[in-house]
Amino acid sequence: MAELENPNVMTNLITFLSSLLQRVAESNDINCRLQPQKISAFHGLARPSISIQNYLERIFKYANCSPSCFIVAYVYLDRFAQRQPSLPINSFNVHRLLITSVMVAAKFMDDMYYNNAYYAKVGGISTTEMNFLEVDFLFGLGFRLNVTPNTFHTYCSYLQREMMLQPQPSLNIAESSLNIGRFLKLHLCFNEDETSHQQQQLAV
Amino acid sequence: MDAFEKLEKVGEGTYGKVYRAREKATGKIVALKKTRLHEDDEGVPPTTLREVSILRMLSRDPHVVRLLDVKQGQNKEGKTVLYLVFEYMDTDLKKFIRSFRQTGEIIPAKTVKSLMYQLCKGVAFCHGHGILHRDLKPHNLLMDRKTSMLKIADLGLARAFTLPIKKYTHEILTLWYRAPEVLLGSTHYSTAVDMWSVGCIFAELVTKQALFPGDSELQQLLHIFRLLGTPNEEIWPGVSALVNWHEYPQWNPQSLSSAVPNLDENGLDLLSQMLQYEPSKRISAKKAMEHPYFDDVDKNRL
Ligand SMILES: Nc1ncnc2c1ncn2[C@@H]1O[C@H](COP(=O)(O)OP(=O)(O)OP(=O)(O)O)[C@@H](O)[C@H]1O
Ligand SMILES: [Mg+2]
Repeated sequence: MAELENPNVMTNLITFLSSLLQRVAESNDINCRLQPQKISAFHGLARPSISIQNYLERIFKYANCSPSCFIVAYVYLDRFAQRQPSLPINSFNVHRLLITSVMVAAKFMDDMYYNNAYYAKVGGISTTEMNFLEVDFLFGLGFRLNVTPNTFHTYCSYLQREMMLQPQPSLNIAESSLNIGRFLKLHLCFNEDETSHQQQQLAV
Repeated sequence: MDAFEKLEKVGEGTYGKVYRAREKATGKIVALKKTRLHEDDEGVPPTTLREVSILRMLSRDPHVVRLLDVKQGQNKEGKTVLYLVFEYMDTDLKKFIRSFRQTGEIIPAKTVKSLMYQLCKGVAFCHGHGILHRDLKPHNLLMDRKTSMLKIADLGLARAFTLPIKKYTHEILTLWYRAPEVLLGSTHYSTAVDMWSVGCIFAELVTKQALFPGDSELQQLLHIFRLLGTPNEEIWPGVSALVNWHEYPQWNPQSLSSAVPNLDENGLDLLSQMLQYEPSKRISAKKAMEHPYFDDVDKNRL
């Protein structure tokens, strides 16, 4: 997706991802009153006052990582949601999940990137907390950080299509009350060819 | 981490020590690579993050070291420590070559061939999954002395090469095994960098000496040029546009058999294809496996 180099495309992508995450978080907030959920390290004590969009724009402005990292971070969030069904993305944890996933994506993908202390500053949390979240996120993902070109392009074309169809992602409440993972699964049959053979060999 | 009993230290890396250890529950011998998260500002070392996630994908291949588990623990100061649990291998190619150098024996041609075939197979597997190793050298190739089974290890510098990113570093690879395009400053290198290393290792197995033992980037290039001839636009189009390109002394190519005697004709042909200057002309790991040099290895067994 060479278009990622285009600043306008990135601005749209950031806006789109933000509103998608916001809708998912909000509907999970409603849902969470109905069923009890695990409180994770990602769960802030209070709902952060900065909007998801402003937060993601801030990360984009300061992280200076490859544009692909935002797609990859999104893939990680999706994997995380699928592997941790008891930890749905909500308004209390979405910010911490975001900063951690972008940082991990940059660390995995880029040869040059900022350290955890820098990301902590960008994300408005302490370095200790950033380090803690990183380890939690990695284990939560089972260290599945590699994204095949296939998966990457599936996510890209999905996002592109949705962005072209409407500026705001429309997803009805029934669907969004699930997590993003389920949501995406309903919409794409992405072939994550790593899944099948990975399960047998490692219990990370 | 009470599940393991440390037996002895077998190696030391940038981010921590490697131990031979026994899993108490099963008695199984494993290698434990301990990674301290000592630099608070850094968090999980990037090498660990990449090594684990890449091995999660590649560890199924018989020629890639098997990562059995990752565990989280705490050291005495209460800091987080990660333990990577690997299958234990009793030697590495560096020690193996050294043991032959010490006794003055040559490594049997059959053994060289078998090791090279396994190496090409392991590399082909990594490349087939979109992963560059970027640090192939004898020290990072583990071996079972009895069976001569070879496994690629230390994927700390490895990276996925299939997604677009800003720029690759050229600070990779131990100098001696570093490909000329990397030395000359190319930041969009590919699988061919690993094949150059494979070629250097091939020659080293035959002669028991490093092929290009440079001690600086410039010396490294001059070592290469002295044997293979100083490259120019004719044999390597685009070379003079690489950022580190300068005017170098002019050497004519020498025959490879002068530097690597004791290698048969097929072997020399394969080696020359691994040491092609132009990265796109360098033989791939997959093609190398089909080279006539390997016609008489027992491919089904390896
Ligand atoms: N699975 C294993 N079985 C036996 N020994 C091992 C194993 N893994 C690593 N070692 C030993 O420990 C050494 C260091 O391991 P490795 O190369 O993975 O770590 P590293 O931190 O990257 O080290 P370096 O910076 O020296 O390359 C190896 O050269 C080898 O001698
Ligand atoms: Mg090593």
